[in-house]
Amino acid sequence: MPEAFLRLLEVTKRYGSRTVVDHISLDVAEGETVALLGASGCGKTTTLRLIAGLEEPDAGEIWIAGECVAANRRNLVPPGARGVGFVFQDLALWPHLTVAGNLEFVLSSAGIPKRERAEKVNETLRLMRIDHFARSYPSRLSGGEQQRVAIARAMIANPCLLLLDEPMSSLDAELKKDLMAELKSLQSALDATTVYITHDRVEALAVGRRIALMKNGRITQIVIPE
Amino acid sequence: MKWRGMFRAPARTVALGSAVALFALLCALPIVWMLGVSFVGSDGRVGLGNYARLFVGPRERQLMLNSALLGAGASLLATLIGAPLGLLFARSDFPLKRLLRIGLVAPLVIPPYILGLAWIYIGGPVGLMAQLFGHDLLSEWTYSLGGAVVTLGVGFYPLAMLATEAAARRVDGRLEEAALLVAPRRRVLWRITFPLVAPVVAAAALVVFVLAISEFGVPGLLRVNVFTTEVFIAFSALYDFGAATAMAIPLLATALIAGAAAQYVIGERLLVTRRGAGAGAPLFAGRKTIAVVVVLFVIALCALAPILALAREAGHIRRVAAAASGTAIKNSLWLSAVGATTITILGALLGYGRARARTRLRGLADLVMIVIFAAPSTVVGVGLISLWNRPGWGIYGGQAMVVIAYLARFIPVVALILAASVRQVPISFEEAAELSGAGWLRSFIRIVLPQIKTGIAAAWIVAFILAFGELGATILVAPPGESTLPIRTYTLIANAPSAEVAALAVTQVCVGLAPLALLGLFAGEKTKEAASDA
Repeated sequence: MPEAFLRLLEVTKRYGSRTVVDHISLDVAEGETVALLGASGCGKTTTLRLIAGLEEPDAGEIWIAGECVAANRRNLVPPGARGVGFVFQDLALWPHLTVAGNLEFVLSSAGIPKRERAEKVNETLRLMRIDHFARSYPSRLSGGEQQRVAIARAMIANPCLLLLDEPMSSLDAELKKDLMAELKSLQSALDATTVYITHDRVEALAVGRRIALMKNGRITQIVIPE
Repeated sequence: MKWRGMFRAPARTVALGSAVALFALLCALPIVWMLGVSFVGSDGRVGLGNYARLFVGPRERQLMLNSALLGAGASLLATLIGAPLGLLFARSDFPLKRLLRIGLVAPLVIPPYILGLAWIYIGGPVGLMAQLFGHDLLSEWTYSLGGAVVTLGVGFYPLAMLATEAAARRVDGRLEEAALLVAPRRRVLWRITFPLVAPVVAAAALVVFVLAISEFGVPGLLRVNVFTTEVFIAFSALYDFGAATAMAIPLLATALIAGAAAQYVIGERLLVTRRGAGAGAPLFAGRKTIAVVVVLFVIALCALAPILALAREAGHIRRVAAAASGTAIKNSLWLSAVGATTITILGALLGYGRARARTRLRGLADLVMIVIFAAPSTVVGVGLISLWNRPGWGIYGGQAMVVIAYLARFIPVVALILAASVRQVPISFEEAAELSGAGWLRSFIRIVLPQIKTGIAAAWIVAFILAFGELGATILVAPPGESTLPIRTYTLIANAPSAEVAALAVTQVCVGLAPLALLGLFAGEKTKEAASDA
């Protein structure tokens, strides 16, 4: 196995007396997609938030691209500097910004010049086939269209690591199938290392090169689908 | 790119830390300082001498009884009027609902002492009733504890109404629908809806109780002896600082107990404003005409009657125009605008900090805010004087002192309003911005503020209305010759023709009602947006 691009070493997170993530260790190779599969409340989302830097671990280390980003119970690299793209379960599209505005905000926060920003936004919108919604507000779009905007926003800054928190949970079966196929082709085009959270076994089998099964805050098994 | 993130935490810490420090200095310290002063006797010795006087005399016991009766009576009346109206607005649909709601809320934006003045023009010895019936019918009752109870009950019922309506809207409509399948509407209303909103109704009643015992203008005007008026007399007439501060303690203790009880009863619901799932069941369906008639009757009695009484007493529009062109109104407009803007800026930061706080002490923070807001205005005024009146500081004696009084009184309520707004913005919106590399300040300005802009506008208007009507604290701290409109109106009541006083009061009512109409407009726009999004 090649050297890990994302490495979790004995990562633990507690809320009060409750241990939500319990000494998890996981290696994800560059360009690989790993699905974290488990029931609600098993610690999947918290693991993803720890990788993104949105939570501080109580123990363990997190390494991204050879750099230690969290250790000794604190984040060494802040979320915005980890090169991470994140699709939230509730999508978290900023409702007061248009679709293009949502994407543009990411680029302007990264300090990219205005002229380059417009070009990049148009390119990404075309890639996700939502360029005709550029001036629309998220609330005007359907669930599937919003999903595309969220994925576009997560990908626009060319993240080295893509984290997806149950991104298809609110979609119907048909739409889910279409979007999964598209997501897979996008991932391979971008060659982004991906951690994908789901509680749906079929979804996990469809996206993950490996599937990590989680229960009670622990990874109990790692499966490689045939 | 790392430096962007490295500066994030300090920016947030500096902004929120500065807001908390200013809150402590402007709002909490005057009250704490006043507590300290209450232990210093007139001879300069530290002791409990001021308190010894407080609990022994029959006069003090009467004051305590009067204050308690005033609070309990006003609270009961406000709840009896407000709670049914809140349920009616939450669970029925009738024509001109938004306009009628504005009409019902109107008494809240009229300063209570102006309502008191209006009732004197109606029920006083030479009032409207006396003129109609040819002899004095009501003046004995108007100038009594009962009169003060009615005035404050009428002034504060909109609080009970708005709280009940908001609570009823949070109740999941499906709970009522499930009950409607097996029970008639009236039973559903009493057995399902009302018990679910009862804690909020009780909390609103407690808030009204505290506001009523904290009121200074109405008991002062209607010659009812309560603690707030005694604090004012002890300080401004007798210059007995120790007695004034000691007499404030029972009021503060009551505010603390009632605030703690209200906070215990409603807990985090204080900041939750989202609607429950499913539309509320139409529990008053088929009774639209009765609903409109009841609402119009309340508006006529509680809002229109006092306004018309004031207008009638003022006599002519020219007199009102003359009153509106004076220095006092210019001072009031200018100082209230500056105060409201500063309050909103600090309130936004404090509200954000409160909404996003993970510490267990957040309940304590709410309690502190409630108690400071409920602290009687004259008590705050005395605290401000004892803290800021120092030679060489250059603040006391200027207009800045009036703005400081506004800040001391109204930052907490605005912070709580804006905390409720921030709570509606999912934390994931900020996290998404943070992952993009946006610093805290950028995320706050570009992501959070635009989404609470309606809340900010509403908070500014509330702060402006409150500041514009403030009397109890500013009457103590305002510099000579720089009076505000409430101070001028209140001091002229005993010394000027009633027409002139009424003209000033009408001006004040108009300035209060204009922002209320704006607030109604904002709410309307928001409803339209929500409807079109749906």
